[in-house]
Amino acid sequence: MTATTTLPAEAPAGRPRERRRRLSSRETVGGWLLSGPYILLFLAAAAIPIVFAIWKSLQKPSTILRPQGGFGGLDAYKSAVTDYRFWDTFKNIGIVMAVWLPIMLIGVIGLALLIHASPGRFGSVMRFVYYIPGALSGIANFMLWVYLINPSISPISGLWTTLGETTIKDATNPFNVPFILAAMLFFQGVGTWVVIVNGGLNGLPEEVFEAGSLDGANAWQVAWHVKLPMIRPWIGYAALMNIAYGFQLFMEPYLLQQVSAGAMQTEYTPTQLTFAFAFTNRNLPAAAAMSVILLVVTLVIGVLTVFRSGLFGEKDAR
Amino acid sequence: MSTSRARTRLLTGGATAVVAVAALLLAGCSSSGGATGGSSSSSGSAGSTSAASTGESGSGTSGSGGGITVWVDAPRVPAVQAFEKAHPEIPVKMVQNDGTIGGQSTKQAFANFDAAGSGWPDAIFFTSNDDIAWATSSQSNYAANLSAVPELADVIKGYDPATISFCNIGGQIRCLRNDAAPDVFWYDAKFFKDNNYTVPKSWEDYFTLAIKIAKDHPGKISGFLGDAYAVNRYLQAANCPTNSPKSETEVVLNPQNPNCTKMGQLLDQAYQAKALSPLGVFDADAVKASTNLVMTPGALWYGSYLLQATWKVPAGNWTASDPLTWDGKPSMGDEGGGLWGMSSHVTGKEKENTITFMKFVATDPAWQVDLSTGLPAYGPDQDPWLAKFGTDGYYSNLDQLKAAFKSSLAAVAPYQYMLYDTGNVWTQTIPTTLTSGGTMSAALAKFFSTLTDQAKSIGYTVSAG
Repeated sequence: MTATTTLPAEAPAGRPRERRRRLSSRETVGGWLLSGPYILLFLAAAAIPIVFAIWKSLQKPSTILRPQGGFGGLDAYKSAVTDYRFWDTFKNIGIVMAVWLPIMLIGVIGLALLIHASPGRFGSVMRFVYYIPGALSGIANFMLWVYLINPSISPISGLWTTLGETTIKDATNPFNVPFILAAMLFFQGVGTWVVIVNGGLNGLPEEVFEAGSLDGANAWQVAWHVKLPMIRPWIGYAALMNIAYGFQLFMEPYLLQQVSAGAMQTEYTPTQLTFAFAFTNRNLPAAAAMSVILLVVTLVIGVLTVFRSGLFGEKDAR
Repeated sequence: MSTSRARTRLLTGGATAVVAVAALLLAGCSSSGGATGGSSSSSGSAGSTSAASTGESGSGTSGSGGGITVWVDAPRVPAVQAFEKAHPEIPVKMVQNDGTIGGQSTKQAFANFDAAGSGWPDAIFFTSNDDIAWATSSQSNYAANLSAVPELADVIKGYDPATISFCNIGGQIRCLRNDAAPDVFWYDAKFFKDNNYTVPKSWEDYFTLAIKIAKDHPGKISGFLGDAYAVNRYLQAANCPTNSPKSETEVVLNPQNPNCTKMGQLLDQAYQAKALSPLGVFDADAVKASTNLVMTPGALWYGSYLLQATWKVPAGNWTASDPLTWDGKPSMGDEGGGLWGMSSHVTGKEKENTITFMKFVATDPAWQVDLSTGLPAYGPDQDPWLAKFGTDGYYSNLDQLKAAFKSSLAAVAPYQYMLYDTGNVWTQTIPTTLTSGGTMSAALAKFFSTLTDQAKSIGYTVSAG
């Protein structure tokens, strides 16, 4: 079996390669034309800022009190990593993601499969209903949460009372914050991702499901054994984007800190610490070092996710 | 051959994957993972919406036209409106900035202005008094030296040196104080009379009485611990050094200082006796809790702003008495009392107009006496303001209260605003520790260690005394 599949590709070595070369010269122009605008945007919004951040992070760390300049090697990284808040911010974000990501992915996949399994009007109505919270703008959504987490005005005040929290300061204690953030992120994001993963499901050929049914699989078995493996790239995409968002968490804890009457840490997440380096300490090299560290961390996790999920269709990835 | 090709494919595949992942992650940055439409990039700008709008119109530094740009928080909007009415010839662009004490958006905007070398407002009402520290740092140098402005010499003379001490940086006056905010001793005179309690004279008396009241009347409280000003209310009053620079880069922080340990013990005992609330005076939840409040040290503005307007405490009950004593001397904290700064970058006609603005907001009775809710910091405005104060009959024993206001001005313990935000560290450590079941002494230990860490992070050398 393997011999028959590999041999034809190897054997007629000459001609296909020539054709490929001829095609590629024509395709190259078109390819560059099509990807040109993207490359420009990528340079402006990603590559150049990254290079700038790396350059900046290699300068001497300076603060508003002790300004200094010039090449500093890895000093800025040292000043970022040895800051008293550095590990805490990663611990915080780790806890938030440990709570949120599994709920998010299970919720997205479960709801998307449910919608896909209930075709017709009901399915599309539900798809729209799930999408609504994500379609609301961030601030409006946030105001809703301000009400929900304030025990004295919350419609779920019964829950807060059961937990023994009577004021917003109680409710936003360090133990609760990861759960509050996870809930905020889940309800904001789940609808959008249900729509995207549902789009993936809609692109799958119906015949495969029919074949599954004919073989005697029930709806649950079709979903679990047929649909789920086929939408793996979409799940990978959802995981990747949500991990990226998780590491860049800023707005939610920033606003939560303000409504909690300052009880929450001001530098709860790595990006908030970056913000403090840049604007409170005016230590731009340390802020740049933080952003490079974040880039590396998310890049490593991202590459792992891509290869594990076969997001780019790499066959040998599995 | 096939292996080398496979390796090439793997390499290019890997490289493509890395680039694509980077692109995706960055896309995640701008579209927030398709989830909320807001992430680090957009929230970064959310913090500086006002900055962006002024950045465009920052005509203030260009030296033409004479129009001025001023930044104020919400309570200071009437000051600008009064100025526009009094000086219709000067076009004013007013930007209302985030008034949250300890808010970071002003800091962020100014870090950007300083880096860009343009965009500063011509005058500002600083969001937090701590802002004067960075505004006068050599790296920013935003706040102009007003001692060098001849037109303001008389204005500066009109301040009691103690009142304007926060603006006195190395012998130069770098800002004008809007209102004086020394603490007095507030109490419910009706409750005291009904229960035959004596008004405390010293800090020790206050805590002893607080514990007694909590025992006699369970639920009644004698103060709030959870706001950014609580550090001034208690630690500053006790001369416990949290904001005591030794030099520009050296600061004294010592939890073992006898004043700190003594005040710490008093607070610890009172909190254990349930005489103090872990809430902060600005918390929405404090409205409900205030119905149980019977006394508290607090700024002059507590009366109109908190008791009357926010907490809606019934009229006719409350008054204030003289500052409490610490080691036999009247010694109280100071809670705010905002600062006006003028840009050091403004020139020409605009500078002239900005000076007119500074003079107006600091001294003019149309703002200071008629509209401002705080006792004017500018001496000559104080008596006219006091004459109008409390005429609605809200307070009990108005004469005693006014005398207390006046005597409190000289009782403020020394305090310098620093590049670290003491109030912010306080709210992050004290109420959090208390609400999760910790003691006040544990909370104070955490406060001092975090404050030390933060001071060091900004570049201060910390010493014990």
